Amino acid sequence: MAEGSKQGQGLPPAMTRLVRELSRLPGIGEKTASRLAFNLLGRPREDVIALAEALLEMKERIVLCASCLGLSDSTHCHICSDPTRDSSVICVVEGPADLMAMERSRSFNGLYHVLHGALAPLDGIGPDDIRIKDLMARLSGEPPVAEVVIATNATVEGEATALYLARLIKPLSIKVTRLARGLPVGGDLEYSDAATLTSALSGRREI
Amino acid sequence: MPVEECSPAIVLRTRDYSESDRIVTLLTLYAGKLGGIAKGAKQSRRRFERKLEVFSHVMVYFKRRPHGELVFITRAEAGDLPPFDLTDDLGKIAIGSYMVELADALSREEAESAGAYRILAASLGAVARHGASRALRQAFELNLLRWAGYQLEFQRCQICARAPAENATSFVFIPSHGGIVCQHCRAGQTDTFVGLSAPSVAALAQLNSMPVEAASGAQGAGRDAEAALARFMATILDRKLRSVDFLHRFM
Repeated sequence: MAEGSKQGQGLPPAMTRLVRELSRLPGIGEKTASRLAFNLLGRPREDVIALAEALLEMKERIVLCASCLGLSDSTHCHICSDPTRDSSVICVVEGPADLMAMERSRSFNGLYHVLHGALAPLDGIGPDDIRIKDLMARLSGEPPVAEVVIATNATVEGEATALYLARLIKPLSIKVTRLARGLPVGGDLEYSDAATLTSALSGRREI
Repeated sequence: MPVEECSPAIVLRTRDYSESDRIVTLLTLYAGKLGGIAKGAKQSRRRFERKLEVFSHVMVYFKRRPHGELVFITRAEAGDLPPFDLTDDLGKIAIGSYMVELADALSREEAESAGAYRILAASLGAVARHGASRALRQAFELNLLRWAGYQLEFQRCQICARAPAENATSFVFIPSHGGIVCQHCRAGQTDTFVGLSAPSVAALAQLNSMPVEAASGAQGAGRDAEAALARFMATILDRKLRSVDFLHRFM
């Protein structure tokens, strides 16, 4: 850490250590880490303790839901434990953040399955590297599933994952659907890019 | 102040960087292979039109930085070729990924690479139109290797330069010689070799002299030929390509 030692020059070891740990986080460089460290130094002691406790609590309590593999603080998450949710429909997402985005829409009342990644040929990530086996075990068990909604990203990796899942799931006589792609709500046709317009056209529906 | 340059380009690799930026590796027609940072690529549809995805063919606008390795990508527009739409089939994604990774591995930053760009563009276009095939993969490998300076030989013995006997049923391919070696010359060789059947040698010879665009309808060489080409590439590449396992699984 040549840069780090340059940054750390003149700082007490405790500050240097904090800067080093913060700069290991994604998107946080040396300068940002230093700014955060000085900000924390200037805060009241109870604020810093609250942050440290929140970090520890997160690490100790958050586990993966035994059913959907989403983030949970108990064996089954609040969505999987909710009896009002439709257990015959499972929405497959790449990560916990995607699950949260779907939930924010308040338009899906089924259950989820979190893959924790997507097939990525250029990164050497294949089917055995993400949680596809868990999904297949779920689909062949109870309760019965009538539909799987594939909500992976509209990227090469997301499409590869969707195609692979469809190939695995269709022989089980379970309906497989893919989230539609097209114009954003409130968006102007004039400002849409060609790829979005092509998707919107191919996915058009009768009214 | 750096001037803005532009070139047709194919996106080889992308990596998200911070909240909204993206680091992109491009194979360009006029500026060789470039690594660049696209500020706001994940948010600005006006400047990037969501074009900076792997396999995308774009007209890229960029500025070089005096002391930086990465160029600043200022905007990207749709390229003048039809889009390489490979995302409707796993086999297409598999072979497309392999093609961009091999093109990336065989080209060097900012070295002249118009030939590699043209071969890759023709190959991805053929995959999009006709689907993945063994012949297309092999024609791509042979064409790209030739561009990179590795002209493989399947019509004459690489040691004595004689054409093999017409009734020969099997051949050996010796990676260190870059081609087939006749049974007579093979006797004194200790280098590793791969056995090739006569039909595979004939198919490789044909694909070796054929533009990629014409390969979709051609006869591909067998698994033995795949092994021979893979063995040769292992001798010149410094790492195993990550997309190879995916390719074997889905094509």
